[in-house]
Amino acid sequence: MTKGHRRTTYKTTGFVLRFIDYGESDRIVTFYTNDYGKVKGIAKGARRSKKRFANAIELFSCSTIIFSKKPRQELVLIENCDVINHYPDIRTDLEKTLTASYLIELIDQFTVEGKRNLQLFRLLKDFLELINNSDYSEEIIRFFEIRLLKHTGYEPVLERCIVCNMPIDRTENPFFNPKNGGIQCVKCRHNDFSFIPVSIGTVKMLLMGKEIEIDRIHRLILSKKSLKESREILGSFIRHTLGKELKSLQVLNQIKRMTVQS
Amino acid sequence: MTGYAAPIRRLIQELSRFPGVGEKTATRLALHILTAAEEDARRLAESIIEVKQKIRLCPICFNLTDKERCDICRDATRDKEAICVVSDPDSLVAVEESGSFQGTYHVLHGLLSPIDGIGPESLRLQELLDRISHDSVREVILATNPSVQGESTALLIAKLLHDKDITITRIALGVPVGGDLKYTDKMTMAKAIEFRRGM
Ligand SMILES: [Zn+2]
Ligand SMILES: [Zn+2]
Repeated sequence: MTKGHRRTTYKTTGFVLRFIDYGESDRIVTFYTNDYGKVKGIAKGARRSKKRFANAIELFSCSTIIFSKKPRQELVLIENCDVINHYPDIRTDLEKTLTASYLIELIDQFTVEGKRNLQLFRLLKDFLELINNSDYSEEIIRFFEIRLLKHTGYEPVLERCIVCNMPIDRTENPFFNPKNGGIQCVKCRHNDFSFIPVSIGTVKMLLMGKEIEIDRIHRLILSKKSLKESREILGSFIRHTLGKELKSLQVLNQIKRMTVQS
Repeated sequence: MTGYAAPIRRLIQELSRFPGVGEKTATRLALHILTAAEEDARRLAESIIEVKQKIRLCPICFNLTDKERCDICRDATRDKEAICVVSDPDSLVAVEESGSFQGTYHVLHGLLSPIDGIGPESLRLQELLDRISHDSVREVILATNPSVQGESTALLIAKLLHDKDITITRIALGVPVGGDLKYTDKMTMAKAIEFRRGM
């Protein structure tokens, strides 16, 4: 018990993925950070202290974080947060807020605490800025999904048939198999009709969206059909990979139903 | 905790289920109850039972009340055509204590929080829409916290009421981004109501 009691202090940059109010004025916060991946900690007095937290603990806001930690301790102690960006144009737009909520839920679901992934951090940062600075488009969500899958090691095989390796260009009426995480040509589909039919054009757009530089991403515009197919492919694959439906998607659907009604 | 007799352990366990109360605090509270006069302990136990039995939600505004309708909804001097929408009874108290609002309230009992699965169907939102379509309402003031959840809830309500002939305003000045109405002082709260902005 003599060793390992010392606190070590760290400084990093991070996004708020989620938080819950705790006690009278504390908050338990989950950040996605530049240097340490997902970090969960307690911010004492977060709802009161304007000095130490300056209202930084807000969903998807980005701040400089100072935290300290004892070895083997589950929660770190968040000492100080300094806001870098609140993303005001996301916060004042319902659709953008819902989109950003979905992105942070994806990041939260696809990561474990304490594992650094700089590409994932960049991805979140780039896309929050994209959403903040431009008009809403569904393409952005799909390209985020495919890139997230790539950076977390769940990249689906889209270039070729996952069974016989036939390049996508040479397949006729390819299908996507969420269970295998890849394309299957009509010959390899056998008689399984649970697969999702997809067009080669859609697949090519997704492959481009996966690699294109972030400042050129707006040039990729999907047709209505391709949007629908992409939503089905990626949605079913993510659902299969996580083994559940994401909560923010369910809320999104509730809101859609409600706003269509009125 | 194993050193304590079973009834004390049980009390500690019950108390540690309160929000923000850990085992240490629960133990301190339990020992306090133990040393208190029997009469005090009985009053505490009774008041817990009483709250559970008597308090319900006002069918109009969903504030907590021990009557058929809450005091504010029953008050004939309150402006029934102005509805101040708040997330929870705490916020209602904060606005009420500022003394700058003479209308009535609507308590949502929560805010949109997609990542927690809290959508419109988890809030008393349909009840607000029903109330607005039945009663004559002139103004809706959205007094949710200036947090992401509070903002998005306000944006959704504004969107749903957009085509109605109602002035929709949002509390403004003074309450900082990410702030909590509960911790806002009376002066700031009064200003926030006074300088509410259109939406
Ligand atoms: Zn094949
Ligand atoms: Zn009432």
